[in-house]
Amino acid sequence: MASTGIESAERRFWRALWDRLRVPTWVSYALLAVTVAVNASLQPFFFTLYNIQSNLNTFVPLVAAAVGQTLVILGGGIDLSLGAIITLVDVVVVTLMEGSMERVPMALLAGLAVGGAAGLINGLLVAYVRLQPIVATFATSFVWSGLALWVMPRPGGAVPRAFYRGYRDVFLGVPVAAWIILGIILLWLIIKRHRITRYILAVGGDERAAYASGVPVTKAKVMSYLLGGLFAGLAGLGIVANTASGDPYVGGPITLQSITAVVIGGTRLSGGAGGAGGSIAGAMILSLIGNIVFFANVGSHYQELINGAIVVLALALAGIPALRRRSA
Amino acid sequence: MAYLSMSGVHKRFGGVVALNGAHLAAEKGEVHALLGANGSGKSTLSKVLTGVVAPDQGRIEIDGREVRISGPEDARRYRIAAVYQELSLIPQLTGMENILLAYEPTRALGFIDRRTLEQSVLEVAARFEQALGRRIDLHRPVESLSPGDQQLIEAYKAVARKPEILILDEATASLRQAEVEALFQVVRELRDAGVLIIFISHRLHEVFDLCDRATVLRNGQTVGTVNLAEVTERDLVDMMVGRGVVTDVRQEAATPPRDEVVLRVKGLTGPRLHGVSFELRAGEVLGLGGLQGQGQSELLRALFGAEPVTGGEIEVAGRRVTLRRPQDAMRHGLALVPGNRAREGLMLGRPILENLTIASMRRRQTGPGFLSPRREREAAQGAVRSLEIKVGDLSDAASTLSGGNQQKVVVGKWLLNRPRIILMDDPTKGVDVGAKGELYKIIRQLTQEGVSVILNSSENMELLGLSHRVLVMYEGTIVDVLEGEDLNENRLVASAMRVAQPA
Amino acid sequence: MSEPAQALLETQGSRLGRRPLNPVLIAFIIAVLLFVVGELVSPGFAAYSQIINVLRVSSFLGIIAAGQTLVILSGGEGVDLSVGAIVTFGAIIASRVIDGQDSMVLWGLAQALAAGLALGAVNGVLIAYLKVPPLIMTLGMASVVKGLILVYTRGQPSGRAAPIMVRLVSQETIFGIPGILWIWLLLTIVLTLVLRQTTFGRSVYALGANRRTAYLSGIAVQRMVVAVYSLSGFLSALGGFFFLGYTESVFLNLGDRYVLPSVAAVVVGGTSLAGGAGGYVGTVVGSIVLTVLQSVLVTLRMEESGRQIVYGLVLLALLAAYGRQYRLRQ
Repeated sequence: MASTGIESAERRFWRALWDRLRVPTWVSYALLAVTVAVNASLQPFFFTLYNIQSNLNTFVPLVAAAVGQTLVILGGGIDLSLGAIITLVDVVVVTLMEGSMERVPMALLAGLAVGGAAGLINGLLVAYVRLQPIVATFATSFVWSGLALWVMPRPGGAVPRAFYRGYRDVFLGVPVAAWIILGIILLWLIIKRHRITRYILAVGGDERAAYASGVPVTKAKVMSYLLGGLFAGLAGLGIVANTASGDPYVGGPITLQSITAVVIGGTRLSGGAGGAGGSIAGAMILSLIGNIVFFANVGSHYQELINGAIVVLALALAGIPALRRRSA
Repeated sequence: MAYLSMSGVHKRFGGVVALNGAHLAAEKGEVHALLGANGSGKSTLSKVLTGVVAPDQGRIEIDGREVRISGPEDARRYRIAAVYQELSLIPQLTGMENILLAYEPTRALGFIDRRTLEQSVLEVAARFEQALGRRIDLHRPVESLSPGDQQLIEAYKAVARKPEILILDEATASLRQAEVEALFQVVRELRDAGVLIIFISHRLHEVFDLCDRATVLRNGQTVGTVNLAEVTERDLVDMMVGRGVVTDVRQEAATPPRDEVVLRVKGLTGPRLHGVSFELRAGEVLGLGGLQGQGQSELLRALFGAEPVTGGEIEVAGRRVTLRRPQDAMRHGLALVPGNRAREGLMLGRPILENLTIASMRRRQTGPGFLSPRREREAAQGAVRSLEIKVGDLSDAASTLSGGNQQKVVVGKWLLNRPRIILMDDPTKGVDVGAKGELYKIIRQLTQEGVSVILNSSENMELLGLSHRVLVMYEGTIVDVLEGEDLNENRLVASAMRVAQPA
Repeated sequence: MSEPAQALLETQGSRLGRRPLNPVLIAFIIAVLLFVVGELVSPGFAAYSQIINVLRVSSFLGIIAAGQTLVILSGGEGVDLSVGAIVTFGAIIASRVIDGQDSMVLWGLAQALAAGLALGAVNGVLIAYLKVPPLIMTLGMASVVKGLILVYTRGQPSGRAAPIMVRLVSQETIFGIPGILWIWLLLTIVLTLVLRQTTFGRSVYALGANRRTAYLSGIAVQRMVVAVYSLSGFLSALGGFFFLGYTESVFLNLGDRYVLPSVAAVVVGGTSLAGGAGGYVGTVVGSIVLTVLQSVLVTLRMEESGRQIVYGLVLLALLAAYGRQYRLRQ
């Protein structure tokens, strides 16, 4: 077959699309379609604007958290303090807002900065001090939670009404939350094209080969946590907008959910392969499952069971090819 | 003044001297071969050049200026690139992503310039593809490519970095003929453009095909540099092993093996073994010769149940056995002293006592699963005594021992299990001279007691000195059997390199 | 792994975390120091009865961390994040079956243990044979178990501990020391004996120290992994049973607060997360350190925010002292 030189843009587009349909990310998109369908069948008013909107509003924080966690996991690490960072950002932003619209931009920026700083510290601990990610981020989660409690010992705070309303508004016929999610997807696509993401993937894939190839391993690791923290900051902003108050205990379950979303989305936990696209789908699937359980009148008891069963099932399916390989 | 000059390079790994004042002088625009038998130091020398190994002494000059190479970043700065047999590719990334990893062309703010990247990569690929006659799919993760294609991608990667010195270290091992040709064509183009290529290989026909001059190393020293147009393959072999040296070094007459056949292998086949057949007698030392990586380690592991086997039969003491895992092999009296003692033979963080007793602890149980500290200690001490292992305290970590003593611990671990057949994969690699002699003594003693040994060794003299017979392996099959008079180095090296024998 | 990188690693030296001093000793000293600090801040902190109390509280963490110790020792990135859920489940099963009757104690215990063993075995099988990473497998299992709990109780945990259990756990038996501490001591002795003087124990260490070598030395690696996780589930359920004896009734999330601290207790006790070295005694001391630390922080009348921050920072300091990973080059 003769070489035809650079592919035409069109061929590249179709090929990229095909690559994106690779299992198991494909599986997660299919799962998303299924959960939407089930939701729609159980909820007669599923496709109303109001309903879609309230769903999307709750998606935003988890979607952002899932993207952040994805970046850390791609680099071969994990961030168990993600929920705590989100909590910290939440209370900081609400405290700074003081109910005034003028202070909103500054507060939002401060929130992102806090998220980034926390992520940076996590990254330095893992990459320079060389602590193991699980215990290191477990330890820092106490620090972030403690700081959140110190900033705001009790839930409360005042979020300016215009801000709260704005989040629930519709812009050009599409809910604001949808724009935000679109924005997050866009952000991910942009980050994907930066060389730091490639370095993160390389380090997560084979750290020693990456080093031998000249990849700045330490820098890549720190950046993966830093970016994770920034997305956690974004998630925190989402929570502020969604709950319109500060709560120093809000982030608890999000950490586990973000990891679950990443796993459902097809990213390998060992790092080096996968992407936030699947994680975003995973985040939405998780949220929709909560809906399903609620509307199917099955009892909230089953929600966790189903969550857990899905994760275990997804992992088992992903692991079946391993059965055929002989262990050595 | 040579373009590249390495002089007086010394390197010692623990107790082993890898380089003993080696030197190399090469010019721009030539393909310069670096030759030598196993353990001659040629690979180490090339690693000094790429910054992977730090020499104890030595001077490197490039283009007249002295340079200091202390890591991959320095190699990058001096435009030195290498293609090794073991890959530095990221498995999940595609060829396109791997080839210019860490060298990606970027636009503002660090975003990858995909168009330029793809262009550059395709340019490099095109140079190979003409001779190759096909394209490698650069958009698949490299782990899904064949080993040969992966090796080619590794070559693309080195070439794409536009080196001024390119090192190929056994880069053709997993390549087929057409692929080798494609690689050579690109190498020739690079040479014509003024690049210095250092070519390390055992395949003498390739060396003559591609290279202009050759430097031969032996025992860590440079024997000489020759112009390949003026020498023959046999001349090179003589330089590598020492011209006309009498190579029969068996000190004492080894006890001849007994008649009883303890192991019979017929047509053993696996991913890297293609129909291996032989017999082993009690008290025999059977050597596995040939270039490294021709299936010797795989054969030993297959006989221990640690390597997948797709065909063939194994009979132990006359009975057909299936060895699917090490426990099966152990039950039939086999033992394996693996090639990499740190990674496969020892638990470095655990006490020496545990390392010695781990494979035989079930034999000494006092109850279901219970171990008596006294019995364990006695067993370990017995091994230490009989093998003369120099230990401080049995509860010290195994990592505190020297290489030779570590190897003795691995051997001791297995002797406590009273095996009938011991498989040894390069047991004296990285072991100092003194301990080596002691290991030889142990092997001799074992054979006197009727234990059989199958030995793979990267040192020809050792192989010849210890073995009753040597099976020379090439690409997973046995191509020659040496015994009696044929058991000499010249014959061994020639067989290993498939050099035709004088009529 | 690439050869050049490997050579770099080997020749320029790689250290798997230097340990100049016995980490268990260090942890023990830290525990003592913490008691001293507590006494200085609030006299009476280190009174005998107070120490016993702290030990009693740390015993639950310690028992739950027993299974965690085994899992982490066995290496392979082993960790069991389902211990909390299994503790809860064990307590809830025992609570319902026993329902305050002495005669049902053994039957309740048996059911709880069986459940823990089975759940742990599922963890082990999927981890060993389907190669699911332990972190996520046990995390998923935790969710599954929590769901099972909800289904089992329909949201309303029921039952009570039997009087004999309460007597055993809370009341003083010998030398004024509550039964639970004797039980903990017994567990420590048994577990340490198993780890040091049985083929099983040796195999656990071997698995963690170098799995490949263990395999090539004839150890049945996959079966061992299943056994280790099964034991972890078993010990967690046992912890739940004793917890029931201590609190006399159960609630839905009682085990959650012990999960990550159980990992921390193991690490603080000197067992590396990489496995292959350490032991249960270290975990015992680690559990005590963590509990005393919390106690001191409460006594210092620090608000919860400050307590959490200090707890996190102290943990980081301990980890930095002896929990570090290898370097790629010097």
